[in-house]
Amino acid sequence: MTRLILWAPLAGLLALGLWGLAAVQQLPLADWPALPYDAAGMRLEQILLAFGTMPRGMVALLVGAALGLAGALMQAVLRNPLADPTTLGLQAGAQLALVAATLLAPGLLAFGRGPVALAGAALATGTVLALAARRGFAPVTVTISGMLVGLLCAAIATALTLSRGEYLLSLVIWNGGALTQQDWSGAAILAAVLLPALALALLMARPLLLLSLGGEGARALGLPAMPLRLAALSVAVVLSATVAAEVGLVGFVGLAAPAIARRLGARTIPQRLLLATLAGALLLSLTDSALMLLAAAGGPVLPSGALTGLIGGPLLIALLPRLRATVPPETEAGDRPAPRARHPGRVLLVLAVLLPVLSLATLMAGRGPGGWGLLDPALRETFLPLRATALLASLAAGALLAGSGAILQKLTANPLAAPEVLGVTGGASLGYAAAIFALPSPGALELALGAGGGAALALLALSAYALRAEMAPARLLLAGLGIGALSSAVLAAIMASGDMRAWAVLGWLSGSASRATPLGAAALTVLALLLAAGGMLAGRWLQILPLGGAVAGALGVPVAGVRLALILGAGLATGAASVLVGPVSFIGLMAPHIARSLGLKRPRDFLAGAMLTGALLMGLAAFGARSLAYPYDLPLGLFATLIGAPWLFAALMRRT
Amino acid sequence: MSLFSLQDIRFDVPGRRLIDGLSLEIAAGQVTALIGRNGSGKSTLLKLITGQHVPSSGQILFEGRPLADWPRRDLARALAYLPQVTPPTEGMQLDELVQLGRYPWRGALGRMRAEDHAQISEALRLCGVETLRHRLVDTLSGGERQRGWIAMMIAQGARTLLLDEPISALDVAHQVEVLGLVRRMCRERGLSAVIVLHDVNMAARFCDHVVALGEGRCLLDAPVDALMTPEALARIYGVEMTVGASAHPFALPL
Repeated sequence: MTRLILWAPLAGLLALGLWGLAAVQQLPLADWPALPYDAAGMRLEQILLAFGTMPRGMVALLVGAALGLAGALMQAVLRNPLADPTTLGLQAGAQLALVAATLLAPGLLAFGRGPVALAGAALATGTVLALAARRGFAPVTVTISGMLVGLLCAAIATALTLSRGEYLLSLVIWNGGALTQQDWSGAAILAAVLLPALALALLMARPLLLLSLGGEGARALGLPAMPLRLAALSVAVVLSATVAAEVGLVGFVGLAAPAIARRLGARTIPQRLLLATLAGALLLSLTDSALMLLAAAGGPVLPSGALTGLIGGPLLIALLPRLRATVPPETEAGDRPAPRARHPGRVLLVLAVLLPVLSLATLMAGRGPGGWGLLDPALRETFLPLRATALLASLAAGALLAGSGAILQKLTANPLAAPEVLGVTGGASLGYAAAIFALPSPGALELALGAGGGAALALLALSAYALRAEMAPARLLLAGLGIGALSSAVLAAIMASGDMRAWAVLGWLSGSASRATPLGAAALTVLALLLAAGGMLAGRWLQILPLGGAVAGALGVPVAGVRLALILGAGLATGAASVLVGPVSFIGLMAPHIARSLGLKRPRDFLAGAMLTGALLMGLAAFGARSLAYPYDLPLGLFATLIGAPWLFAALMRRT
Repeated sequence: MSLFSLQDIRFDVPGRRLIDGLSLEIAAGQVTALIGRNGSGKSTLLKLITGQHVPSSGQILFEGRPLADWPRRDLARALAYLPQVTPPTEGMQLDELVQLGRYPWRGALGRMRAEDHAQISEALRLCGVETLRHRLVDTLSGGERQRGWIAMMIAQGARTLLLDEPISALDVAHQVEVLGLVRRMCRERGLSAVIVLHDVNMAARFCDHVVALGEGRCLLDAPVDALMTPEALARIYGVEMTVGASAHPFALPL
């Protein structure tokens, strides 16, 4: 705590100083209006300061504090250092509600965006909690359900954004979390929510400490775990929903602030709650003031929420090595594993037969110029090669992403590991964006090189980090998340800049198979086969590695080398797939889960099943994306999520 | 030749010295108990002699050869290790777990031959878990699971078994079962074992030799009979104990 006494005032002074600098740039101190503020007697610049810049500074502090507190609460409840307001699918729910209301029922927005966003957030959280409640709010289940709901909402919202792009510029800015204010009402609402929430959170501090012993330990001490988890999560939800309604999506503060608090030595739960609140406030305030200064200096006007990732991501990575052993997402009694298939061979056979059948069906049937039906023989020569190329690329990309997800899940013994969690697709997106913006008129090769290079760089950074930190899986995931947050922050900033080239990046982000060339599709197929072969060869490693480094080492497995090789393989597979069909990588999360719920448990069965499932999912997604809005291509990612997510929900509900 | 030969070992972690100038010989063909209070360095010592930790200074010889010079695969064929907390084995059957013990011999790609399957069956039989071979490891009881892991170590074909508190979560019947199994393996098949233990009575009952640590130094290195005296126990645990005798000596805190 001694470090805290040194750092907290320093950071506070820095935040105040930065904001003051920005405010003075806007209006010299001598001209500042006197209290109480009355717009009637002020000049325009004074009004801008008193009702724009000042409440904005306050809002930055309050929003950061609210998110920091929400993140600390969620991490205490879920006992999972990866938990934050985004994990409950809450921000994505609010975003979807706003997008949908703007497009489909603008009348709902008559009372402002707040109620709509709140309703969406509550609905998404309600769904997550309903799923989680069936299984005693076990941490892993809450996190998985939240991520799924979030992915589903985000995919639908992106599709809506793309389909009616011209309406939604304001939403894009809202998505980036712009803190711009016109009066003090936002600050007042945030304060009115934050203060009681803080009081409630502190009242729950001691029960939460008991909860850190795990559900059973808490029950043994006379504490009913379920109501407490529900109460603490509700506070966190109200906090983050208010933020979402007032300023939009502010990423990463909820994840970074509690990590900073722990790093500063916050040990007890009250310390963590208070310090995370403080850290969140200062983090966002610093970001926002820096952005105001940048804008004042003639730079671009960027949304603060998106930019917190720029500070938060690298900060988190830097903090990791010193973070005390984190609690891995562990299996509780509620997470009983799915039964193991009696005859995994038959399950695999069914999948293997389904694949060509489905491929043939989507090749020959679908929606053409003449409506739904079989492909007109006259058009075969024109359409079949195009369809076959797109299909082959989709199947191969699905298999690659699923295979890399399966390998990463075995490697880290963590069911939440997925290519996008490791930041590889984030790196690919950044590389793609760099190619679009840096080159005058980039062709397919330049774009592919850009995305591949980005993925490789992310991977190299991750490997270097992983080797240094001896690959503690929870840390690896956090480091990957940091890279992912960094890239999504940059991308959000690009979107918000209003540059037309941003739409090209957004289009690529949601994925489309129709851009694939025959050569590219063939290359992807070869890679998928290589990955499958490599995975089969590494089957014994994949069986031993989940048992941990000590056991694997005692059995004579060269642990560091094997882990590095598997990470590189998984990363290259992800990068290659996303070069061609965009980073639609929740296939990498869903397909292994589906394979697991089919009872495929042995590593080779699991990997083969995941790859087949991934190919099937992506094939179906490509078909839907191609057909539903013919002759336009819809985002591949949307359909992949729409197909896979319901299955996962069903699996989660069934396993009780 | 001694099994392990430790020469002036030190092991430091930032801010603390866990093992402080330890020299020790551990003989082959015996069951050696490693005892001491919490934090005395028992588990650290076990991790040092498995090669998981590298000493800050000093040298460890295993079968006369510096531990660092052993190729990884050869070491795994000679030395089997059971961690204090056995990791979860999602969806793994017991026979698949035991088959992992053949990894040092067959590597990542080598085919399992008839002799491997014979070894696996033999290990399952010796540990009395052959009827459980198709059960999922995570569904076994604590004692069964522990015997399953020991079966994996037997299938590994290693002549030296290192076990870190193998009985800490078991009831007394399972404790007797597991330690009896280890002792029987050593007697019948000429294996050696080093076991970290908390229970002096179990150490006295099932082990041949005892090494007691305190603050990273050796407090006692003697046949197990020498442990069961009030003086020795007081020196190791700092607690007055009385030693009685029925069929075997036993110690109780006063």
